[in-house]
Amino acid sequence: MEESYGRWRVARWIAPLLAGALLLPFLVGEFWVHVAVEILILGLFAVSFNMIFGYMGQLSFGHAAYFGVGAYATGLLMVKASLPLPLCLIASMAVAGLWAVVLGYFCVRLTGIYFAILTLAFGQLTYYIIFQWYSFTGGDDGLQGIIPPGFLMGATAYYYFTLMVVALAMAVMWLITRSPFGYTMRAVRENPERTKFIGIHVQRAMLANFVIAAMFAGLAGGLWGPFNRSIAPDLCNWHQSGTPVFMSVIGGPGNFFGPLLGSVIYTFLMAFVTGFTEYWPLLIGTIIIIVVLFMPGGVLGLAMARLRSSRSRLGTREAGGP
Amino acid sequence: MDPTLIFAQFMSGLSRGMMLFLIASGLSLIFGVMNILNFAHATLWLAGAYFCYTFWSLMQDTGFGMWLSIPLAALCLAGIGWIIEVVLLRRIYDRDLPEQLLLTYGLILVLNDLIKLTWGVEDKLIARPPLVAGPIFLFGMPFDSYFVFVILVGFAVAVGLWWFLKKTRYGHIVRAAVFSREMVSALGIPIPRIYTGVFVLGIFIAGLAGAVQAPVGSITLGMDMSVVVQAFCVVVIGGFGSLLGTFVGAFIVGQVYAFSILFWPQGALVLIFIITAFILIVRPWGLFGTPMRA
Amino acid sequence: MGGEPILDIEHLCKAFGGLRATNDVSYSMQPGEFSAIIGPNGAGKSTLFNLLTGYHRADSGAVRYKGTLITNWPPHRICRLGIARAFQVSNIYPGLTTYENVRQSILAQKGDFLRLFTPATGLAREETLELLETTGLSEHADQEAGKLSQGDKKRLELALALGSRPDLLFLDEPTAGMSGEETQATMNLVSRLNREMGLTILFTEHDMSVVFGYARRLTVLHQGTVIAEGSPEEVRTNETAQKIYLGEEV
Repeated sequence: MEESYGRWRVARWIAPLLAGALLLPFLVGEFWVHVAVEILILGLFAVSFNMIFGYMGQLSFGHAAYFGVGAYATGLLMVKASLPLPLCLIASMAVAGLWAVVLGYFCVRLTGIYFAILTLAFGQLTYYIIFQWYSFTGGDDGLQGIIPPGFLMGATAYYYFTLMVVALAMAVMWLITRSPFGYTMRAVRENPERTKFIGIHVQRAMLANFVIAAMFAGLAGGLWGPFNRSIAPDLCNWHQSGTPVFMSVIGGPGNFFGPLLGSVIYTFLMAFVTGFTEYWPLLIGTIIIIVVLFMPGGVLGLAMARLRSSRSRLGTREAGGP
Repeated sequence: MDPTLIFAQFMSGLSRGMMLFLIASGLSLIFGVMNILNFAHATLWLAGAYFCYTFWSLMQDTGFGMWLSIPLAALCLAGIGWIIEVVLLRRIYDRDLPEQLLLTYGLILVLNDLIKLTWGVEDKLIARPPLVAGPIFLFGMPFDSYFVFVILVGFAVAVGLWWFLKKTRYGHIVRAAVFSREMVSALGIPIPRIYTGVFVLGIFIAGLAGAVQAPVGSITLGMDMSVVVQAFCVVVIGGFGSLLGTFVGAFIVGQVYAFSILFWPQGALVLIFIITAFILIVRPWGLFGTPMRA
Repeated sequence: MGGEPILDIEHLCKAFGGLRATNDVSYSMQPGEFSAIIGPNGAGKSTLFNLLTGYHRADSGAVRYKGTLITNWPPHRICRLGIARAFQVSNIYPGLTTYENVRQSILAQKGDFLRLFTPATGLAREETLELLETTGLSEHADQEAGKLSQGDKKRLELALALGSRPDLLFLDEPTAGMSGEETQATMNLVSRLNREMGLTILFTEHDMSVVFGYARRLTVLHQGTVIAEGSPEEVRTNETAQKIYLGEEV
């Protein structure tokens, strides 16, 4: 059970990870710093997705809608209103959250495959709305010239900024997963029917989680614009929605950090593979298929299972309990 | 409103609807019987178009090259479908939905690149066979005879499927399986073989659809992406597992597309998605589907 | 006692297709009752519970709880009013630990289930441990609930229902699959809650020794209709009831 390892693992791994993250720009060249920013932003996106998938048990195939909406919120506010970045990011979260209230209201009334398809349809709807609202969003041309404020223009500076925002966001989401709300999500995942009968309005709870997840996806989108200097409606389509799904599944949806690990794997692979071949979809697709067939818990799931069996062999009592 | 314009749009919508029906019928059948949403369905459709191109270019000099290429391509896709079912799909029938979706999604990526590897990135063009190259006149108006051909093929497949499902024993079994797998299994009929058969049939139709669609415009990489979501919409609107539903759904989507061109050109897809979302909210199992399963 | 009934069912009807699962059932319970509904398989006992707890919508009729009309209310609203239910087939959270299962029910009842920023670990600790103790699950607290034995799962099922701090408790075959010892422990617990806390209990059972050992009032259901009602002795000697149970131990 993830819970038993939660606190223990966090303490053991977080410190060196954070240290490594802080030292990164001094250890590697600018290209890899860029990669690291991408890992962080997409990792945030994937972790937010996993709030719906791993914790609540529903597969959303339209999460990119909120990433895209967040990206456009920040992009448009920066380009057209010259608002400072932190304010734009907050706006991104708010707009993504609001959009999630509207769409999520309908989505949470469905489960399983219907939920998946409706989120897919809504994702595409969002894409098409942005795509053909040329006058406001620039449509297919995308939005260019999203320049971060002067002091964040350098790769390293933006990296630290992203690290700070993402770490903070992850900490908040981590807290949420440890809270009664987080357990209610697990309850909804494990047995939605029973949850109704202990007095919980399941759909309302699901909507709340959906909106929270969307807000963090919007935050990730908001960070993406200034990083990439431009954005396009493509950020919303279902292909983009597949990215956090892939990251969560390969990293391990049963663990809070699984999607982040998935982001590391995915982004590294992408950066590495696109260097010498254009056939990276073939690689990604094959990996997905292999992971689905042979590693259902993802990398972290596998690691945890190994850990548990080796510990029980050693006769160590599981660190557990409430 | 000019009646000739309306009729022209209607025919255009009908043609598009038939194309979507051809793609979606396999998708609907597969989901209805096996509960698997084959994300890669349109990619296989695209492969059908490419296979057709290859066969046609081999038989270019003969007059009937195209007519042979279509069934040949469909057969090739049936073979590919068989391989996919046996090697991959079989292992995930007992898995949860996310894993199934993810597998077929991974399949899109793999198949897309395999297509790219095999046929390269340039658009492929097939010349239409002379019989259906010129215009055909209906009510004094000229229509692209190939469009009419597509419509006829669509009807033929619809009738063929209907006959298969309603009149043959195998078809009865398939229909029963849509309704209840347990019941069919309890009757001693091996579900695995039904699954294989249904999947192969579904992909055969997809290949056929791709091959038939091939001479319309050019064959481009990425066509599958724009089409797959529309195919989903058709199946959702019409109802999974229902032949009639898929037909009606395809018709509706085709007509919406054709007529929205008149007053809101960019909004066609937005409209289609709004309708799809509406159906999912109000009647998730579609107009003609069975309210069970998921 | 003897005032307003805690539960008042009037002419409740529910049909599935052509089958009348609940056929004009009227029934009333006073606070503090310990009553049972019995009947052969398919008599409609579970359907009745489903109607009362919001699982099914009634075709017609009315259900009142402490005077409030609750017919066709959604399950979570009914639960919040003070009605809880233990399912016939254990309906627990298999992936959570026993402790987490029980805590979830308690947190739900306290209204704390949507709190975002407090760690759940420290919350409702005493109440959870107490309830685990009461239902004999303390030693399995850290075990994954899916791995519990059948009997323990039934106990957890009961604990989940009790976590809602109900005033009215429906038990659907609470001792099914339990050993004699477990049965006694469970029914004694329920009995104690009824005596000491005034918890109103309505249960269904196939085990007649349990029914006659604990219920103070019996209602016999057959094909959705109430065919006999009264004290255990009255029902035991009722001819119609005997005919229904021909072949079964009465």
